[in-house]
Amino acid sequence: MKKNKSILLSGPYILWMLIFTLIPLGVMAFYAFTDPDTGKFTLQNLEDLGLFLPSLGTSVWFSLLSAGICLLLGYPVAYFIAHRSPITQKILYMLIMLPMCMSFLLRTLAWVGLLETNGIINVLLGKMGAGTVEVIGTSGAVILGMVYNYLPYMILPLYAIIVKIDNRLIEAAEDLGCNGVQVFGRVILPLSIPGILSGITMVFVPAVSTFYISQKLGGADTMLIGDIIEKQFKTSNNPNMGAALSLLLMLMVLVCTGIMNRFGGEDEEGGVVV
Amino acid sequence: MKKANRILTVLIFAFLYLPMLVLVVASFNNGKDLTVFEGFTTGHYADLFKDKDLLTLLGNSLLISLLSTVIATAFGTFSAVGIHNMKPRLRKTVMSLTNIPMTNPDIVTGISLSLLFVFVGSTLLHQKESLNFWTLLIAHITFNLPYVILNVMPKLKQMNPALQDAAMDLGCTPLQSFFKVTLHEIMPGIISGAIMAFTMSLDDFVISYFVSGSGFLTLPVEIYSYTKKPMQPRVYAMFTLLFLLIFVLMVTMNLLQIRADRKRVSKQVRTVTKSGRIFRRVCAGVCALLLLLGSGWLIFSTRQDKITLNVMNWGQNIADGSDGTMDIIAAFEEKYPNIDVNYTTYESNESLYAKLKGGGVTVDLIIPSDYMIARLIDEDMLNPLNFNNIPNYKYVQERFKNTAYDPNNAYSVPYTWGTVGIIYNTKYVDEADVTGWELLWNEKYAGKVLMFDNSRDAFGIAQFLEGISINTTDEAELRQAAKKLAEQNPLVRQYVMDQIYGAMEGENAWIAPYYAGDCMMMMVANENLAFYLPEEQGFNLFIDAMCIPKCSENQEAAELFINFLCEPEISGANMDYICYASPIEGARDYMDEYLAESEVIYPDDSILEKGVSYLFLPAETNRLMDSLFMEIRIAGGDVGEEDGGHAWPVVLTFAGLAIAAAFLFLPKPKHKRK
Repeated sequence: MKKNKSILLSGPYILWMLIFTLIPLGVMAFYAFTDPDTGKFTLQNLEDLGLFLPSLGTSVWFSLLSAGICLLLGYPVAYFIAHRSPITQKILYMLIMLPMCMSFLLRTLAWVGLLETNGIINVLLGKMGAGTVEVIGTSGAVILGMVYNYLPYMILPLYAIIVKIDNRLIEAAEDLGCNGVQVFGRVILPLSIPGILSGITMVFVPAVSTFYISQKLGGADTMLIGDIIEKQFKTSNNPNMGAALSLLLMLMVLVCTGIMNRFGGEDEEGGVVV
Repeated sequence: MKKANRILTVLIFAFLYLPMLVLVVASFNNGKDLTVFEGFTTGHYADLFKDKDLLTLLGNSLLISLLSTVIATAFGTFSAVGIHNMKPRLRKTVMSLTNIPMTNPDIVTGISLSLLFVFVGSTLLHQKESLNFWTLLIAHITFNLPYVILNVMPKLKQMNPALQDAAMDLGCTPLQSFFKVTLHEIMPGIISGAIMAFTMSLDDFVISYFVSGSGFLTLPVEIYSYTKKPMQPRVYAMFTLLFLLIFVLMVTMNLLQIRADRKRVSKQVRTVTKSGRIFRRVCAGVCALLLLLGSGWLIFSTRQDKITLNVMNWGQNIADGSDGTMDIIAAFEEKYPNIDVNYTTYESNESLYAKLKGGGVTVDLIIPSDYMIARLIDEDMLNPLNFNNIPNYKYVQERFKNTAYDPNNAYSVPYTWGTVGIIYNTKYVDEADVTGWELLWNEKYAGKVLMFDNSRDAFGIAQFLEGISINTTDEAELRQAAKKLAEQNPLVRQYVMDQIYGAMEGENAWIAPYYAGDCMMMMVANENLAFYLPEEQGFNLFIDAMCIPKCSENQEAAELFINFLCEPEISGANMDYICYASPIEGARDYMDEYLAESEVIYPDDSILEKGVSYLFLPAETNRLMDSLFMEIRIAGGDVGEEDGGHAWPVVLTFAGLAIAAAFLFLPKPKHKRK
């Protein structure tokens, strides 16, 4: 009796989430299938998506690359942190969290100041007698921006998993004759796969939909899918096209995270929190 | 191996903190630029506390994140208890609903919510301002709820259910047992959920960007539109202070947690210790205080007897008191103390149009260019002006009356006029190459050319170069111009609007087409820059004029403002800052002599005759131009001759995605049932 009653507590919540997450997605789909001028049903928006598929491809490629780089850079760091004393762990964990709380717009702008042709890095290089490097406006700059902004999203879930690995397992492996590389390859790495997968998802999803990073750091040929969606809404005034693009993006992300979850097995309650 | 690991960790931390260090250093830098350190100052901090607008924005951000956190935390905690008591299958369904905002890209969440709000507000309820404070708050609560739920649920699961029963056996009502036992047990989860929600909400840009109207903006949304010129260093000062604040908060949280952990370990038996009780009270006190402050702020900010005049203007298009110019808005507010000007900016005519058409905003005064005014008149989006309130209209020069865009002078009063030419850096660009628009196609300067990031201006340049009318509606001619633009794409460094300031003044790019007034501004900032008007090939001559959109709620106040801006003295002072030419008779006399005499701002009449104005084009031409421009930027050099042939890849992509989705998500429940 009591239990049944307390279920009612979640009623308003379910209603809220239906109204403000599911229905908006429905409205978005509605826009995607209507004509911007007449408001009638059309498939034209979806047909016109063809133009933007290369951008979608670029976005996916850049974000996968960024996620890969984040993994390569983040894993050793997470491993390092997980093997400190508890106090040091707390401090380092906080230091990784801290940048996530600060304005990512300003931090990205700081990279523009660092990397510009006449930016800080080039001025320093010039003083050392080296030539200048042109970074702004290249794909590399966009990927750097993604790695910079989303690296903490990789490190934190990795750390959360690695710190839980039972040390006795490692000792057992060593007792059974594994060398360092084997211990890592056969014990530590397989056990940290859930962290790796959630890290990749957490880097991939924001990276694939970003528009700020590519606008500030990218150049004439780095137009990402997020840029295009933003433009459809904010300058081209074609919300219907924008909705169709968002739908495509959402489906794609859904499939990608779905694949991740498949590999990762069942996560009891789903959803990984930092 | 271990050593390498340590070094890498240090390097990564350096990488993460380097840009923040740059910002902190910039907040003490006497110069305006990020790049050059010109001496130590704390002046920017003083500026920050004098800057009413910036503090208001910070207040807005804090208000939204505090309110949404408090509401989401309370709401989420109760809901989590309900969800916890559900049967596993139902719980799983609800949890996947909870996960939607977490797994969806922010941009999709933001767009879908804004579409819902605009759809309900404008289409169903016929509200004038369908995006406002409340929509922003709803959006923040929506994306905060999952953080709370996902943090509270595990604590509920860890809790021993017998505890609650014990409390009830001892005579507690279910409600009492919840407050006395359950709440205490899950408190760490609630707190960490609230903190996460607060930081996410405070720093959220993407969702707020799509969901906020013009009336209530948060700090990140405004920072996004600050891309003009090097950013005001007081913003860096604010960043530094926020950094310190969050740092102190985090350290305190960690210390408290470490202490609590220690206590727990040493006592083993879980009792409500004295310090735990103090900790709880402190937390409750802080929460209550924050709530009080937040709601106080809300009451304070909504309680206003003043009329709010919402002005929407181009970026950097009104004198704001910096560099010894007049602060026009402050002067106006002084003259009319009952009017409070809320000033926001847009980047291009097209983005202004999108904002108006999107229906989320209330605006009383806009300053679009000629062709956009014609379009707005054509689509019945402007109110006719009451010229009885604008006696200063008499100062408007005759040649700016009876224009093509507003033939009966019914809807607009001119604000500025100017030309579009080329700005280039004399240090790097050979004068011999400066012969016309083809300079922008010169391969010698590949990677150093900037181009307009709006289709109309970009097409205009290609059309002048190709000798096509800039007002053509002919598809073949438009494709010809598009082809020309596609040829230029490999040379272009970036497509920009407001970002041009930093790039040209910092000499990171050398050549760009832009509006004369802004070019003059850049030339004042960097003396290597020069302006060239390709008079033989033709150039765009534009007028920006003040109009009152249909959504206006304070037409009379807007007309007072228009009248104020038409005073020759005010107009002259305004032009000193924005560097455009004034259509007001006598305003030139009040201008700084250097600017008033400049050929860039006031070209010779004989040259002016060669200028061409943009005319209003039909919607399908605009759409074609937009999609061609998009195509240039995506496909680089390739611009397809014909449309069509695109359908198949899309159908295949969608089908593939749908099949994959079905494959991935449908079998899951079956899997579970075993």
